[in-house]
Amino acid sequence: MAEKLAAGAFVFEPPANSPVGSVLYNEHLKLTDKSHIAEFAGYLMPLWYSSIGEEHSAVRKRAGMFDCTHMGALEVAGPNAESFLDAVTTNNVRALQSGCAQYGYLLDAAGNVLDDIIIYRREKEKLMVVVNASNEPKARAYLAALQAGKAKIDMAKPDRQIKTAPVRDMRDTKTGPDCRVDIAVQGPSSPDVLCKLADASVSQQIKNLKSFTFCQAKLANIDCIISRTGYTGAKVCFELFLHPKDAAKLWQKLIEAGALPCGLGSRDSLRVEAGLPLYGHELAGPYNISPFEAGYGWAVKLDKEFFIGKAAMDKISKTYKMKVARLELSGEKGVRPVRQNDAVICEGLCAGWVLSSATAGTKQIALAYMDKDKANEGNPVDIYYLARSESQKNKGRKQAVEKGERIIGDIQGKVISRFEKF
Amino acid sequence: MVVKGLLYTKDHEWAKIEGGVAIIGITDHAQNQLGELTFVELPDIGKEVKQKGELAVVESSKAASDVYSPVTGKVIEMNAKLEKNPEIVNDDCYGAGWICKIQITDKATTKNLMDAAQYEEYLKGL
Repeated sequence: MAEKLAAGAFVFEPPANSPVGSVLYNEHLKLTDKSHIAEFAGYLMPLWYSSIGEEHSAVRKRAGMFDCTHMGALEVAGPNAESFLDAVTTNNVRALQSGCAQYGYLLDAAGNVLDDIIIYRREKEKLMVVVNASNEPKARAYLAALQAGKAKIDMAKPDRQIKTAPVRDMRDTKTGPDCRVDIAVQGPSSPDVLCKLADASVSQQIKNLKSFTFCQAKLANIDCIISRTGYTGAKVCFELFLHPKDAAKLWQKLIEAGALPCGLGSRDSLRVEAGLPLYGHELAGPYNISPFEAGYGWAVKLDKEFFIGKAAMDKISKTYKMKVARLELSGEKGVRPVRQNDAVICEGLCAGWVLSSATAGTKQIALAYMDKDKANEGNPVDIYYLARSESQKNKGRKQAVEKGERIIGDIQGKVISRFEKF
Repeated sequence: MVVKGLLYTKDHEWAKIEGGVAIIGITDHAQNQLGELTFVELPDIGKEVKQKGELAVVESSKAASDVYSPVTGKVIEMNAKLEKNPEIVNDDCYGAGWICKIQITDKATTKNLMDAAQYEEYLKGL
């Protein structure tokens, strides 16, 4: 999918608001200098506290925690909640049991990915949808447009209707008493951290949680949805959803219990190392990457009778020629880091481009969008660094490389497995 | 941290003037903003640079940043240790993490730089 699919696309202009501190902004200022805080998706968020490398390593070896209070949390409730979400997302919401979570996509009628989401079924008729911070205004506007009958549903059947259900912004305390923001605790010793704040029965519940399941229980006397989900590739990982008024208190308790605060820098390097996609990079974005190309065809249930964008997904599933691959390159100090848009070279020809990259120990891991038939595990690849400064341009380094262009790479690497768990 | 006796630019480079030679580096503020450096592209010896011209590139895992020359002159020495150990810039940006030495050819270009007190004021305003 090289170009955005136009017919049936949902077009949304995000509001240009000045950035605001997250719910935990004052906690961040206690831990790091203002110069390490930057705007992300409309929020002022910490990039790192100690260093990206230290925080990355803490999540891999012990337990790290992340302010995810900027992530969107929407409640979809009522008798039509299930059928509404089943129609607007790609995965099988009807099969989702209470206490379980499910990854899926929000597509428009043209098949463009509007967001990747996790749906938590809290009760039969009460579901929570967690969306990316950067897409939250768009996701809410899209669901509202569907409710108002103002967004396209089915290009082939313009008269198709879907049942809709009320949507509530769970982070906004004006919308009701049960409000939720997300703090993630990730890494092998994260159960120990949580159990220090839990009584014996809650500790047992936490230990019994399987991946993509959750419970509602008290940590440090604070009501939490405790979920075995995350975005770091850690086998053992939790997200805690709690009322924003309790966020600072729980944050402090988690530090006392041994979780290392981690910023957006390591959040990114961890997810890249694990192969997880970031919307705008490995999903949608300039190459309009589909779930199939991203490696998540399993989350698009083509056997469902209908979901918005199904016709486009049907077609793409049979025709896609490029995909996201995970690459490993050397990453010792003094090796120039590969970056977004650097060219991926196979057999002397440009076969794709780097989407994201990260340093993990002495290695670099890159996620690249490249020819599917060149992306087999073990295949050698070279990377050509694009010019990143005036002087490099003046020395003749290219600013862009076209697909199929013959070019000599600068650094060697290889394709490794699409995902990795730690 | 700002060191007395050095001259500073708004782009967070420092220069230590010794006779007709300027030793150049990036400031503590700059290295702190970049995070752990993983790569430094040093200028070639003999390169002639104008004040505010491209001198070097420093890269951390999150950003690539140009280093501009605080003065007009010719590169006469560079800190080759940074090629293998760019993190020296993080550890000691005003000392062992210097980037290069420039033979100043236009003395006037040392007159429009900030002193330590002025740079400190400038940082407060950011």
